[in-house]
Formats: sequence, C-alpha cells, structure tokens
Amino acid sequence: MSETLTRLTRTVKGAGCAAKLPPGDLDRALCGLDLPVDDNLLVGLERADDAGVYRISDDLALVQTLDFFPPMVDDPFSFGRIAAANALSDVYAMGGTPKTAMNIVAFPAKTLDLAVLRQIIEGGLHALREAGVVLVGGHTIDDPELKYGLAVTGFIHPQRILTKKRLRAGDQLLLTKPLGTGIICTAIKAGMAGSEVTARVISNMAALNREAAEVMSSFAISACTDITGFGFLGHLAEMVVDSGLGVRINAAALPHYPEALEWAAMGLLPAGAFHNRTFRGAFVDFAPAVPSVVRDLLFDPQTSGGLLLAVAAEQAAALQHALLARGIAAACLVGEVVKEPQEKIQVV
Amino acid sequence: MTRELDCRGLVCPAPVMQVRDLLAQEKPPAIAVLVDNEPARENVSRFLIHQGYQAASERLGSDFRVTGIAGDGACPVMSEAEISAVAGDAPKKILVMVASDRLGHGDDTLGAGLLLNFLKTLKEMGPELWRLVFVNGGVKLTAQGAATVPILQKLAEGGVSILVCGTCLDHFQLLDKKEVGETTNMLDIVTSLQVADRVINL
Repeated sequence: MSETLTRLTRTVKGAGCAAKLPPGDLDRALCGLDLPVDDNLLVGLERADDAGVYRISDDLALVQTLDFFPPMVDDPFSFGRIAAANALSDVYAMGGTPKTAMNIVAFPAKTLDLAVLRQIIEGGLHALREAGVVLVGGHTIDDPELKYGLAVTGFIHPQRILTKKRLRAGDQLLLTKPLGTGIICTAIKAGMAGSEVTARVISNMAALNREAAEVMSSFAISACTDITGFGFLGHLAEMVVDSGLGVRINAAALPHYPEALEWAAMGLLPAGAFHNRTFRGAFVDFAPAVPSVVRDLLFDPQTSGGLLLAVAAEQAAALQHALLARGIAAACLVGEVVKEPQEKIQVV
Repeated sequence: MTRELDCRGLVCPAPVMQVRDLLAQEKPPAIAVLVDNEPARENVSRFLIHQGYQAASERLGSDFRVTGIAGDGACPVMSEAEISAVAGDAPKKILVMVASDRLGHGDDTLGAGLLLNFLKTLKEMGPELWRLVFVNGGVKLTAQGAATVPILQKLAEGGVSILVCGTCLDHFQLLDKKEVGETTNMLDIVTSLQVADRVINL
C-alpha cells in the first residue's frame, strides 16, 4: 500500500489539466446542440468562458463552474488542495466571490486505501477554508482511475462580470503564476523531479488566485481568464478570437520554471502540449529567435495556473507593484494588445 | 545490432521512461522504439537526441518507429544518482538567509564591510552552498550600485540560487533596480527553508 501512497501519479494515465479532452474535440461534439434559452443566463456555454453566470436580480448573479482531473502529484493532501484551488480559480477569473462547493470523486476502492480519499478531501477542505467557501455535499463513484474535483458556486454583480472578451488596443497583459506545471508534473510522474522543484510547483499550484483577484478589482481590467489545460497560448487565443485585435507577447518576460525548459528538451512534454500546439499553432507567429523549448512552454497545459489580465497601459506598472506587494512574485507584464495583425498572437 | 523496444500502448511519459531505463542498463549503438502516438514519437526523439543519439522517425501504418544511432562523443547516460542530482537532490543543501545589509550590531560601517567580506568568502562552502535568500534590508545588496552585486552575480553564475523578496524590493522602491537573483514570494521562501538541509541566519 505504501507504494500506491507514494506514487499516486503512476496509477493514472493523464495528469491534472493535461488530461483535458483535446481542444477542438469538444467543439465538434457540442457543435449545433440545441441549448435551452433564458434571458437571465448572462454567460453561457456558447461563450466558452471560465464560468457560467446566471442573473438572480439586478444586483446579484450566480457564477458556476466545475473542474476535476486525475492526480498530477503523488501526495493525496496536495492533490486535494490543488484540485480545489484550480476549481475555485474559474470564479476568481470572472471577478466573482466563491461561496459554496461540492466534491466530485472517482475512487478506485479496490486498489487504494480509503485513507487516501480522506487526505484528498482534507486537502480540498484546506483550500476551501482559505477561500471562505463551505462544502455542501458531493458525489463519489467507484472507478478504476482516481479523479477529484469540485463544482463551485459564487456571487457576482451582473454589471461587474470579467470575461475573456473585452480587450482594448494598447492594454498590457499581465500573468500571475509561472508557466511549466505540465512539464514539471510529467517529470514528477517520470520520477525525475527532485524534492525542491516538486515542493515549489505544489506550492504554486495550491496557491489560490484569490489575492490576485482582490488586487485586480481596484484596477481598470478589460478582460481576464485563468491559464489551465489549453496552455498560455490556448487561453490567450480565446481572448483574441473575434476581438478584431491582436497581441504581441514578449517571450523573455514570461515567468516560468527554469527546470521546465530543460525537461522539455529531454522529451518530458505532456501529450496535452502537443494537442494544444496542433489546435492553436496556426494562430501564433513565433519570431525565429524564440527557442523551441520556450514555444513548448507556451503550449504546456497548466494545472491551477495564474490569472492572465488585460489592464489599461497607464495602470499596468501600478497593478504589477500591487501584486508584488501582496506576495505574488511571479506577476509579470508579458505583452500588449495591438491593432495589427488582427486575430493573431505574435511571440517575439 | 539495433536494440528494439516496443512502447505501443503507452502514453507520455511512459515511453521516455522505458527508453531511459534501457539506456541506463546498456548503451546500444543503435536503438529502435515503436510508439503509437505523435507525442510519444516527438518525446522519444527528443530524449534520444538529449542522450547523444542521432534520431529519426518514420510512420508505420498507425504507429511510428523512432530510431537512434549513437553519435560521436555521445553524452553518457545519466545514472539514477546523477538524475536526482540534476533534479535537485544533491547530498546537502545549505541556505543562507540575509535579512539585513549589515552583519551584526555595534557599528554600521563595520557591519556593512563585514557583510561584504562574508559574501565574498561564502564561495568557500563549495557545492553545498545551495541558495541565498534576501529579505528586508538585505534586498539592498542585490540592487544597482551595491558593492555586493558583482560578488552575488559570480555566485549565481556558479550555480548558487539567489532569491530576492519581491515585497521587500517594492517597499524600498528597488523593483526596477535589482541586478541579481530571482524575485520571489513568502511561499517560495518558506518552501526553501523547509527543503534546505541547513539554514544559516544572518
């Protein structure tokens, strides 16, 4: 039993957000579905945003989201914390305040000790307490492959919803967590990551996006999303599509784990990075000088990644300082919104 | 003779792990790895190149055959110990926490001089010196104009990791003036203290 306790990641195929269905597949499956209509549904499925928003009254709306995945780290408590931080993140990315949560669990009761399940749930509760969110229930099934996650509901003011969709030319783009968790977790799974980098990536993935969201609420943010399974460029592309604008990313400014570049060169890329590249590759123009491992980093699926914010240029430096002052050390200005070329991401 | 390895049915990183395990036991002059998905094809190619092989791949129906031929001066396969050393599991890790721009109390000019000398001499610890963490007034030592900057840059070039508290840099309005080290947060600092084998507080 101790073997399964120390090597949760070896019991599953995918890991974290890298286990997402490849982008594009889902679009094909859902294309043309007849969805129920309701005027109070302010943000729904067709918008493909971080979370759905349903208006209750003129000054209150519900924001709802759900995320679950197989373990990307071996420690059950850390897995629980990370899964909860990742699920809560979608509410923060919309500018909402999470209030309640429900567990979703698939557990291999025949092969794993129930103590593992308890530790996972305890990890989730730890993150919920930190967020000021109550657990109201859940559902557990017996399944050969371990998965855990949460459905989270929050409150939001209907006039203050932050979507992916209101980029303005001249906006600066700011990212709040380092990139490379997919590659690092692949190295963890391969038994090649040391204890220091493992501890560092767990700390960052378990860190809530709450503080970043609190800081951004007093700045002129035009659009926001959180970086997860589709990778930095995949989520950025969702912001750029249909905006009539383009973005220019400064590759040298991207916060990242240095180890991720080394391991990408060694062939420790998660399959999701290849799917993301196939799906969004045509959307991106890389300057010849951008190294191939940096390109890999930009397509790497992130678990519980940071917020990506578009902020008015004159407030960008102040926002970065405010985030750093709250201990969000990775906060970096990584690019800007440009008028031309439209609907393109340039990485220079 | 070409060593064959069938990794069909395996997803990343399993094929790379199988190739690594094989190369750790024997170093065949030529190797051929069968995989059945595109990510595995690219990752195995990369790993073989990283290990000093010349890699090529071809499609066989729905599978791929990745071949590697040992090149001249192939870099040796890393043993488990070497891998964990690269990954950060070196035998001992000493962390030095610098919370001021002076060493000790009594005379500030003397204290500044002593600290400069201390940092200059720190390299004598050798490879066990793992990380320097600068907080509070200590962050001034990493900023433009400080006599300590070239010393710290040299340590960083030698592989010593240098973390500088972002909140502290912001407090002293030095965010744009930092010239060495990585800006960091309390979480990283706490984690560093937790994983270090020995912590020296100044």
